[in-house]
Amino acid sequence: MSTTTQAPTPPAPPAPTGSTKARRRSATAESPYSMAMAMTVLVIMAVYFLSPVYVLFSASTKSKAELAQSSLKPSTQFVDNLQQLFSEGDGIYSRWLLNSLLYAVGGAGIATLLAAMAGYALAKYQFRGRELIFNVVLGGVLMPATALALPLFLMFAKVNLTNTYWSVLLPSIVSPFGVYLSRVFAAASVPDELIEAGRLDGASEFRIFTGLATRLMAPALVTIFLFQFVVIWNNFFLPLIMLQDNKLYPVTLGLYSWQSQLSRVPTLQVAVIIGSLVSVVPLIITFLALQRFWRSGLAAGSLK
Amino acid sequence: MTILRRTSHRHRLVLAGPAVALSLVLAACGGGGDDDKGTSAGAGSAPACKPSDGPVQLTFSTWVPGMEEVVKLWNADNPDIQVKVNSVPAGNAGTYQNFTNALKAGTAPDLGQVEYDSLPNFRLQEGLTDISGCPGIAEAEQKFVPWTWSQVDFNGSGGVYAIPQDTGPMALYYRKDIFDKLGLAAPTTWEEYAAAAKTIHDADPSQYITFFSQTDPNWYTGLYWQAGAQLFTNDGDAIGVDIEGNPAVEKVNDYWQGLIDDDLVAGNLQGFSEELYKAWNTGKVVSWVSAAWGYSTIRDNAPDTAGKWAVAPMPQWDAGGTAAGNWGGSSTAVLAGSDHPAEAAQFALWLNTDPEALALENKLGGLYPSSVDGLDIEALQQGVDFYGGQTIFDVFKQASAGVDPSFTWGPTMTDTYAALKDGIVGALSGNGTLDDATKDAQAKTVASLEAQSVPVAD
Amino acid sequence: MAQTIPIRTAEDPVLDDEGGGTGTRRRRRRTPGRGSTPASAPWLFLLPFGLPFLLFYVAPVAYALWRSLFKIERTGGIYGKPTEVFAGLDQYRLVFQNDDFISSVLRVLGFGLVQIPIMLLLALGLALLLDSTVARFKALFRISFFVPYAIPGVVGALIWGFIYSPGLSPIVDLLGKAGLEPEFLSARWILWSIANVVTWTYTGYNMLIIYSALQAIPQEIYEAAKMDGASNWRIARHVKIPSVAPALVLTGVFSIIGTLQLFTEPIVFSKIATTITTTYTPNMVVLSAGQNNYNYAAAISVTLALSTFVLSFAFLKITQRKAEM
Repeated sequence: MSTTTQAPTPPAPPAPTGSTKARRRSATAESPYSMAMAMTVLVIMAVYFLSPVYVLFSASTKSKAELAQSSLKPSTQFVDNLQQLFSEGDGIYSRWLLNSLLYAVGGAGIATLLAAMAGYALAKYQFRGRELIFNVVLGGVLMPATALALPLFLMFAKVNLTNTYWSVLLPSIVSPFGVYLSRVFAAASVPDELIEAGRLDGASEFRIFTGLATRLMAPALVTIFLFQFVVIWNNFFLPLIMLQDNKLYPVTLGLYSWQSQLSRVPTLQVAVIIGSLVSVVPLIITFLALQRFWRSGLAAGSLK
Repeated sequence: MTILRRTSHRHRLVLAGPAVALSLVLAACGGGGDDDKGTSAGAGSAPACKPSDGPVQLTFSTWVPGMEEVVKLWNADNPDIQVKVNSVPAGNAGTYQNFTNALKAGTAPDLGQVEYDSLPNFRLQEGLTDISGCPGIAEAEQKFVPWTWSQVDFNGSGGVYAIPQDTGPMALYYRKDIFDKLGLAAPTTWEEYAAAAKTIHDADPSQYITFFSQTDPNWYTGLYWQAGAQLFTNDGDAIGVDIEGNPAVEKVNDYWQGLIDDDLVAGNLQGFSEELYKAWNTGKVVSWVSAAWGYSTIRDNAPDTAGKWAVAPMPQWDAGGTAAGNWGGSSTAVLAGSDHPAEAAQFALWLNTDPEALALENKLGGLYPSSVDGLDIEALQQGVDFYGGQTIFDVFKQASAGVDPSFTWGPTMTDTYAALKDGIVGALSGNGTLDDATKDAQAKTVASLEAQSVPVAD
Repeated sequence: MAQTIPIRTAEDPVLDDEGGGTGTRRRRRRTPGRGSTPASAPWLFLLPFGLPFLLFYVAPVAYALWRSLFKIERTGGIYGKPTEVFAGLDQYRLVFQNDDFISSVLRVLGFGLVQIPIMLLLALGLALLLDSTVARFKALFRISFFVPYAIPGVVGALIWGFIYSPGLSPIVDLLGKAGLEPEFLSARWILWSIANVVTWTYTGYNMLIIYSALQAIPQEIYEAAKMDGASNWRIARHVKIPSVAPALVLTGVFSIIGTLQLFTEPIVFSKIATTITTTYTPNMVVLSAGQNNYNYAAAISVTLALSTFVLSFAFLKITQRKAEM
C-alpha cells in the first residue's frame, strides 16, 4: 500500500496568477516581531488555562485547617494528603482509578474503532439514506442524559446487567460525536483516488479501510480516542445510575460520593481535593503518550 | 480484557460478553417495559412476614461513612444473615434516583437509607415494604424517640415502613465569647435573638448573627416545624397542602423577612460553602441554628475558633417554651422487592438500637441516634473540647424531646423544596419576599401532587 | 500504481484568488465508480456502530418519547395504586405553559449567542498559531490548553467558584485593591461568569478538533504556497481556514448542543451564588421535573431535543449555503 501514497513530486499547483504582493515576502524566515506576538498570545492563554489548575494544586498541599485560610501559597501537606487519599476506605481510591482505566481504555478503544468505520462509510460511499443516517446520529446526542437514564437502566436490568462492569462499559462504546469527527476527517484526508487505486489493485473494501484509510485518518482517530477517553473518565452520571456497589465505581463517581458526605464528615474534603488532582494525572499521561501521533499521522498522510 | 479477567466475576463476564449484545437486543424489542412484579408494597394491616429458611444475603445501600465497620459486627454474630454494604452518594445527590429506577426494574437493594422527608415519596412509588408484621417490630415503637416513630408509621395511619436511624434536633450554636463581650446572654426567644442580631451588627457592621442559606430549604422547614406549622395534613382520603397562608409559616416568614430587610442576617453565604467557613473562622458570622450533627461542621471547618462556641436551646416563640425543630435524619427502609423482609427488618432494628452499633455509627458517621437509649451512649455524655468542654448533647437530648411528633412531610418534597429554594433566592436578592416563596411552594406542590394523581384536599 | 495524488490540492489554488473562497469551487467528493463498490460495503462498515447506537441511544429515546405520551392515574386514595394512562400530548401542553422552561431556554440561547463565537474564534486562533511556523514549544502549549477539558466538570466549576467568591478569592482581592469591585456571582454577572468557565473548559477541546483538521491538510499545499511566496497570514486565510471549515461547523453544532444542555456549572454555582434557581437552564428543569414525574420530564426532554435539532440543522444549512456562495 505504501507505494500508493508515494508522492515524490507534489502535483504542480496551478500557476499563480497575479498576486505579486504575496511574492514579495520571504516565506521561510519568520520575522521576530510576529514570533514575539505569537508567543505573547500563547503564554497569556496558557496562564489563563493553567492558573485554575494551580489553585487546585495549591489546595491539595494543605491540611483541612489551612484550607480555611484560603491563601494561594502551597503548603507542606501534599504527601500526608496523598497518604490519606490512598488509605481512606481501605484504599478504595486505587480501585476506583483502575476501574476508570478499564472503562476508559476499553470504551474509548472500541468506540474509536466503531466510529472510524462508520464515519469512513458515511464519507466515502454514496448510498441511499446516507444523510438520514447522519442526521439520526446527530439526533442521538440531543436528548439530555437525565431522560435516557431510566430506559437505559431498565434495559440493563432486564438482562441482569445493572451493577456490573458491562453496564458502564457497553454504553460508552458508542460515540456519535466520534462518527461525526471521523466523517469529516475521512472526507478531508482520504483521497478517493487512493481508494480507487486500492480497488484496482484488487484489495477488498475492508483491507482498503484497515490498510490505507486508518493510516491516513490517524490524527483524527487519536483525537476521537482521546476525547472519548476523557468523556468516559469524567462521566459520573451513567455509573451513578447503573452502579450500587462502590467497588465498581469509576474515580469521578467515587469522589462525588465522598463529596456528598462532606456535610457529615468534613475531614473528607482533603481527600476529595487531592483525589481530584490525582484523577487528572492519567488523562495527562494519556495525552502525552498520544500526542506524537498527531505528527506521525501527518507524516503518514502526506509524506510517506 | 486482562483487567476484567482478574476480577472475581471472571466467569460470568467472560461468558456474558457475546451473549450481552444479543440479550440486550431482545430486551430492547420488549420495549424496556415496566413490569410490576416484585415492586408491590404490602398494603393493608400487618402483612405476613415470615422468616426465610436457611442462610440469606442482604444488600444495604447507605451513605453513612463507616457503616461497613458497623455491619462487620453484625456479620460476625449472624452467619446466617450476611449483609453487604453498598456505600453510595447521598440520597438527593443521585441515590434516590438510583433507588427509583431499581425499584421499577425490581433490582433494588434489600435495605436502603431514606431520609424522613423522602419516605412519603418512596411510599408513593410503592417502594417501601410494610414491615409491621415482621418479628419484633410491634414492640419496637417504644425504643424510639416518639416523633421519629411517627415518621416511619405515617402518624399511625397503618403500617410501618422503615426503622428510624438518626435525627437532627435543632439548637443554637453561638460564639459565646462574642456574645459575652457584647453583654448578651444566649437568646431564649426569637425576640431576644433579633435584638442580639441588631446589637452584634451595630457593634461591627461586617459582623452578622447568622446567615440565611438559599441552598438549605430543609433548614428553613425545620424552623417551620418548631413554630408548630403543619405543612401537610392527611385525612386518609386526600393530602392537605397548607403552606401558603399558614399562620405559623407566616409568623416565621415575617420574622426572617424583617431580619433580611434590616440587613441583620448575611444573605450572601450558602450553607456548607467555603465562604461560610471563612466567615465562621474569622468571626463574621457568630451563630447558627442547626441540627445536632452540625457540631462537626463547625468544629472541622472553623478550627481557628476552637473553644469559643457554645450550644443553647433553640430560641422560642413563646417565652419558657421547649419546642425544637428538626433538620435532617434518616431511616433504614426495607425496599420493595426484597425477598427477605423479616431478616431485613431484624437487621434494621439491630442497626438502630444496639448500643455498640449506635456508638460506632456516632463515632464514624456522626449520627445522632433516634433510639431513646441511644441518646445516652457514652460519647454523648462527654464534654466537647471545641465547645469549651460543654456537654452539648444534653441540649440536643432535650431538643429531641421537644420536636413536634405530628409534623408530616408531603409526598413530593423535592418539588416543594425546589419552589421554596427558588423563592428564597428571590427574597434574598430583593425580587420578592418569603411569603412569595411559600405562595409559590404551595402552588407547585399542589401541581406536582395532581400530576401524580394524588387527591389533594381543598 | 505510482500515480501522483491530485488531491484536493489542485482545487485550492492558493494564489488564484482575489475572488476569494475558491476552495469549494469544484465538487469535492468524487464518488468511486459504481461498479467497483459492493453495495453492501457501507452497511457492513456501519453495522458495528449502528447496533449499539440503536440499543443505547435510539431505543432509550424511543422509550422516552413513548412515555411522554402517558400520565399517571391513581386509584385508592393517597398512596393508592398508580397506573399509567395514555394522555396524548397533555404533557407537551404543560411544557409550553411552563414559564420557567421557556425562560430557561431563552437564557441559554442568549448565552450561546455570545459565548460560542468567542470560544470558537479563540479555538481557531490558537489552533492556527500552534499550526504555524511562528510558535515554539508547541507540545507544551497544546497540553496546557487541553488540561481544563481533562478536569472533571464539577471540579473545574468548584475551582472557579473559589476564584469568584468575594470572601475567598485572592483575585477578587487584587482587583479590589485596584479599585474594581467585580461581582462575579451577582445576578447581573453570573451568566457570564458561567460563560467564562465553559470557555475555559472547552476552548482547548475545540482547538484540538480544529488542530487535527489542520494536520489533515496535505503538506504539499503549503509547499506550493510557500514556493509561491504566500505569507503565513495569507496561507491561514486562504488555505487553512477554508480547509477546516467542516471541522469548524462541527464544533459549532456541538457547541450549540452543549449550550442547550448546560448543567454542571450552574448546578455547582447554585451552591455558592444567590442567583441560580432550580430551573436556571433547560436541563435543570428536566432534572427537577424528573424527580417526581418521569412522563413530564420526558416531554420536556423531547421538546428540548427537538428545538436543539432545529437550531443545529438551521446552523448547518446556513453554514452550508455560505460555503457554496
